[in-house]
Amino acid sequence: MSEQTNQQNDGQVIFGVQRATKHFGGLAAVDRVDVDIHQGEILGLIGPNGAGKTTLVNIVTGMLPITSGRVFYKGREITSWAPHRVGRLGIARTFQIVKPFRNMTVKDNVAVGAMYGHGGAHRSARQALEKAEEVLEFVGLEDQMARGADQLTLGALKRLEIAKALAMEPELLFLDEAMAGLNLREIESAMELVRKINQSGVTLLVIEHVMKAIVGVCSRVVVLDFGQKIAEGTPQEVMNNPKVIEAYLGEKFARRLREEAAHG
Amino acid sequence: MSEQPPAPLPREKKVPVQVTRFDKVLGQRRNLIYIVVGALVLVVLLALPPLGVSGFWLRTITQAYVLAIMAIGWNFIGGYTGYAAFGNVAFFGLSAYVTGILMKKVGVPFLPSLLTGALFAAAFAVLIGLAVLRLKGHYFAIATLGVAEATREIIADDLGFLLKIPGDLLGLIGLDKAAESLHAAAEKVAITDGPRGIVLPFFQPPFQIGDLTKVQIEAWFFYYLTLSLVILGILGTWWLIRTKLGYSLVAIREDEDSAKMLGINTTWAKVTAFALAAFMAGLAGGINAYWKTFVLPEEVFRIGHTLEMILSTILGGPGTVLGPALGAGIFTLVSSLLIFKLKLGGFHVMITGLFIVIVIVFTPKGVGEFLTGKKPLALSSLLENIRRYRV
Repeated sequence: MSEQTNQQNDGQVIFGVQRATKHFGGLAAVDRVDVDIHQGEILGLIGPNGAGKTTLVNIVTGMLPITSGRVFYKGREITSWAPHRVGRLGIARTFQIVKPFRNMTVKDNVAVGAMYGHGGAHRSARQALEKAEEVLEFVGLEDQMARGADQLTLGALKRLEIAKALAMEPELLFLDEAMAGLNLREIESAMELVRKINQSGVTLLVIEHVMKAIVGVCSRVVVLDFGQKIAEGTPQEVMNNPKVIEAYLGEKFARRLREEAAHG
Repeated sequence: MSEQPPAPLPREKKVPVQVTRFDKVLGQRRNLIYIVVGALVLVVLLALPPLGVSGFWLRTITQAYVLAIMAIGWNFIGGYTGYAAFGNVAFFGLSAYVTGILMKKVGVPFLPSLLTGALFAAAFAVLIGLAVLRLKGHYFAIATLGVAEATREIIADDLGFLLKIPGDLLGLIGLDKAAESLHAAAEKVAITDGPRGIVLPFFQPPFQIGDLTKVQIEAWFFYYLTLSLVILGILGTWWLIRTKLGYSLVAIREDEDSAKMLGINTTWAKVTAFALAAFMAGLAGGINAYWKTFVLPEEVFRIGHTLEMILSTILGGPGTVLGPALGAGIFTLVSSLLIFKLKLGGFHVMITGLFIVIVIVFTPKGVGEFLTGKKPLALSSLLENIRRYRV
C-alpha cells in the first residue's frame, strides 16, 4: 500500500449508497447495502460468487433498475439515472465480461469513451482520437492501437476495457473483475496500473476475486455475502473476520480453523 | 470502399497468408485507383442521358437510383446501428402519399411537396422509433414489420377509422344516433382516396432544353434528380461515420451496454439513425410517386420494397459507404435483365428469392469485401463465408 493511498483515506465521501436493494422476483440479490466511497481511495468489494457485487454496480450505475435505496454522488442524488447520464457525470465502469466493440480498432474503441464521457462534450471526433492515443499509452496498449479489437488477447482486452473507461476522464471508476482470468505476471502489471490510475486522481471501487490484488492495492474492503454487507475494514481486518471466513470456506471449515487457532 | 467509422487499418507487419491476385494488381496505389475508377464511373453515369441511351435503360437505371436512395437510408439503421428494420416501406409509402396529396389536392409544387413528405416520414420514424427501438433482434424486426402493415391498412381505409372508432365507442354506451352519424361521416372521408389511390399531376417541363421532347426531359429530370441524391447520400454517409454520431451508431451495433456506459444516449442515437433512414426512404417514395404518377396503397406499401432495400445493402456490404448503392445497382440490373430481356417476368418472385438465398449464403458481408481486396474472389472464401455463419 503506497503512502499516498493512505493519506487519501481521509477524503470526504464522494459516492454514497444507502440501503440499496435489488430483487429478482423473490430473490434479494442486493439487500439493504450501505457503502461509502471516499475521495481518492481504492475500495475493494469482495464476496463469494453470486454475492451481488456486480448487481450492486449495475443498480448504482443505472444499468439495472434499483428496487429501493438511494445513490448519491458528490452530494447529488443520482438514484435511477440513465447509464449515459451517470457516465457523463464522471462515473465510469468496466464489465466483468469484457465488452469491446469488436469490429472497431482499439483506438476507435477508446475514442468513443473520449467522445461521450465526462470530458466528451467539448471534444470533437478528431480530438477524441488524440485523447485515445494518450490513454492507450497510459495503459500500455499503444502498440496495439491500429489492431482490430477482435484480435486482442484476454489480458489486452481487460486493459482495453479499462482504457475505454479512462478515456471518459472519470473521477470515480468501478473495476469489475478486471484481473479475473489473467496469469500472475499480468496480475502484477494490472495491479501496478490500478495504483497508477489512483495516483492520477481517480477514486476506485475494485471488485476482485484475486485476494492478492485486493490486499495489494486496497486501503479498505467491503464484503458482500448473499446480497448483504457482512464486513467492512482494512484488508487484514476483513480477512480475519470469522463471518468472512465462513462465507468463503463454509461453516464447518471455519469452525475447524477457529478450533485449531484456540489450541495453538 | 470504406469500412466502418474507424480509419482504414494500416497494414500489419505480418503479411496475410493469402495475397490475392486482385490485391497484387492494385498494390500500393489502391486508393488512387479507386478514386480514378470512381470518377470514371461518375462521368459515365452523368453522360448517359446525352449519349442517347434508350428509354428502357434510362428507366432501369433511375429505378436503381431510387432503390439506392432507400438502401443508403436503411444502411444507417440496419448496417451501421445494427437494428434490422423490416418496415421502412412505411416511410416510402407515407411520403408518397403526402407528396401526392399536397400536389394533387393542395396544388403545392413538386419539390416542396417532396421535402414535406420526407420530413413527415422522418417525424413518423421518431414517434415510432421511441417505442419500437426499445426492442432488439427479432422483436424489433417484427414490430417494424407490423407498423408498416398497419400503416398500409390505415391509409387504405382512408383514415376513416379516426371517426369509426369514436363512433363504435358511442354505440357501446347506447348513443346510437351519434354513432350512426359518425359512421356515415367516416364513409365520406376522402383524404387518401382509399383503395382507389391518387393520380398525381403529370410532369411539366419548366423550360425547353434544346430539341428534346417532353418525354425525354421528364426522363432526364428524374434521372439526374435521383442520381444527385445518391451522390449526396454517399457523401453524407462518408461524412456521418466520421462524426461523433457515426461512432456512437457503430458502438451501439457492437455493444449497446458498453455504449451506454461510455455516455452515449443510445435512445437518441438510434432514433436519429431511424429518422435518417426514414428521410431517405421518404425522398425515394415521393420521387417515385411523381415519376410513376400514381399512388396505390398496395403498391407503395408493398413489403417487397423493404426486402429490396435490405437485400441491396447486404449484397453490397452493410455498414459500408458504397455498399448500398453498389448492391442496389447490381440487384436492379440483374432483375431487369431477367424480367425484361429474358422475359422471365413470371418468375420474378422466385428469382428474387433465389437472389436472397445466394447473397445470404455466399456473401453475408457483401460483395464489397471482394472488390476492396479484403478477400480473394475465390471459391474458398465463399465457402468460408458459409462456415462463418453456419449454425
